[in-house]
Amino acid sequence: MVDYKVRKVNDFKWEILKDQKLGMRVPGIIYADSELLAHAEEEKTIEQVINVANLPGILRASYAMPDIHYGYGFPIGGVAALDINDGVISPGGVGFDISCGVRVLRTNLETSDLKDKLEELMYSLYGSVPKGVGSKGKIKLSKAEMDKLFTRGVNWAIKNGYGWEEDKYFTEENGCMDGANPDCVSRQAFDRGNDQVGSLGSGNHFLEIQKVSQIYDSKAANLMGLYEDQITIMIHSGSRGLGHQICGDYLKTMQRAPFADKFKLPDRQLACAPLNSSEGKRYFGAMVCAVNYAMVNRHCLAHWVRVVLESIFKKSAKNLDMGLIYDVSHNIAKIETHDVGGNSVRVCVHRKGATRAFGPQSPGIPEKYRQIGQPVIIPGDMGRYSYIMVGTEQAMRESFGSTCHGAGRVLSRAKAKKEISGSRLKQELFEKKGIIVLAQSLSGLAEEAPQAYKDVSKVVDIAHNAGLSKKVAKLEPLGVIKG
Amino acid sequence: MVTGMLKKFEIIDHPSDIGIRLETESIEGFFEFSAWGMFSIMCDIERVKPAVKRIVKIKEREQLSLEELLITWLEKLLYIFEVKKMLFCRFRVSNIEIRNGSTFLGAEISGEKINTLKHELTVSIKAPTYHMLELVKDSNTGCWKGQIIFDV
Repeated sequence: MVDYKVRKVNDFKWEILKDQKLGMRVPGIIYADSELLAHAEEEKTIEQVINVANLPGILRASYAMPDIHYGYGFPIGGVAALDINDGVISPGGVGFDISCGVRVLRTNLETSDLKDKLEELMYSLYGSVPKGVGSKGKIKLSKAEMDKLFTRGVNWAIKNGYGWEEDKYFTEENGCMDGANPDCVSRQAFDRGNDQVGSLGSGNHFLEIQKVSQIYDSKAANLMGLYEDQITIMIHSGSRGLGHQICGDYLKTMQRAPFADKFKLPDRQLACAPLNSSEGKRYFGAMVCAVNYAMVNRHCLAHWVRVVLESIFKKSAKNLDMGLIYDVSHNIAKIETHDVGGNSVRVCVHRKGATRAFGPQSPGIPEKYRQIGQPVIIPGDMGRYSYIMVGTEQAMRESFGSTCHGAGRVLSRAKAKKEISGSRLKQELFEKKGIIVLAQSLSGLAEEAPQAYKDVSKVVDIAHNAGLSKKVAKLEPLGVIKG
Repeated sequence: MVTGMLKKFEIIDHPSDIGIRLETESIEGFFEFSAWGMFSIMCDIERVKPAVKRIVKIKEREQLSLEELLITWLEKLLYIFEVKKMLFCRFRVSNIEIRNGSTFLGAEISGEKINTLKHELTVSIKAPTYHMLELVKDSNTGCWKGQIIFDV
């Protein structure tokens, strides 16, 4: 049992006091209400926040966003900024699904347009979008083409006829993160990723047809082209086997590197390397390849969604106004400039189950959104709702421009599977809410049931009240495809 | 399904992921049942037929710990699953050698190509993790005990 002290900063912010006996180099900061904090304490997630505070070169604090829950290495919802000169980079601070993320497409359709077409639309999407455990995409790439994809990101996809030119401007990093080094990607990682481009995967990944059920900020919603009763499409996926292998490869490398003993940490999943070491640079170069791959993956999935809607509604995707609102990752490490102690400092921000939430006027967000801040997409569960928020100046000051990424689980997968029937869940969602759910596996569906997750509105309200991001719109599912 | 004797096997109720805890008579058995446990999380393993045999060899020019070798073994099986699109139900680890600065594991695994009409694939395991990883020999019983948490 780890003995730590908690100080209440305000109703939505708590400090875990820095304690050198626990190896903490900085304090912990947790954004939660008292109930969520108690849950995190019960789950022992605070210990993971403390473990992250042990990382060499960590600046200001080890942060946990309002969807904090127990992970491995970092907590889910963990954010840490590391000094780029004497700090480290940790594959466990990014996770196995590198650049797992979400995108939302808008349409000019309303719920009445789907009245007789939802079922046809869902089955067409289900047939067109590769999904499921170990699923392969529709594209298989040679090593040379994969290398181009790694270094050019979404530009590679656009050049090859997938998606629209303007999509990249509404993707984090304009769809192509700098620093990719294909030479740092192992043959095994290539083998696992070369036929999975444009595939949804499984687990908590999904494709949803949604309706905008509530607008909270009409100025931001107008800029994003959102209005009540409008149909939107949300895609949640990541870097598939490629990212999983890269993370595994570098965890092993870092644990066996000459400096490993110097960086002994409480959880081996926190294995790390100095950012300026050969191992640190190689991991970063490989991780960026996976980030670009993940953005291309979601970009290609969106392309096929557009093709399906064109065929169902007999209109072009342009005429259906299927523009991309935004695409953002929630498992990533990025070199960013932030204010630390009054100085503008380059840091490596790890976000593990946390979303970048840059405020108004921040560099690196689309010109269109400069005055409102970066769109933040918070997926919920398949039976309730998801949210679109915007980043804030307060997040820039307090949390290295970061906020929550989702609901967070309340039931373990094993318990959910035991307590919930996938077929009954599917039937109930349709009978009670009219939601059409299509899934590869019914027991996999049970693990992702709404009751296995916290009510995301609670998490979003805390992020909103803590000032980390502001609510713009609520989206409710009409149709769900699970991998 | 495997050659070693299993003394105990249970699913660990990790809040966001899933894990297995097991105890076996031999170290080879521990590796075999770990693999069996991993595939039984991903699919209904009873429906997988041992139609095709594959030889798996892990050769490292450094001395891995048993825990590191266990992770390497499970990662290798996930790699074969994804790249060859195969599910496995039988695992026979014949040889584990860790000495003189090198590591070797030899095994024979059996399974079949994924057929989504027959095999219900529940959830994808992204990787075995080092989080809470344990593998120790009980000095009283001589049995091997441990646990693995998988990222799903």
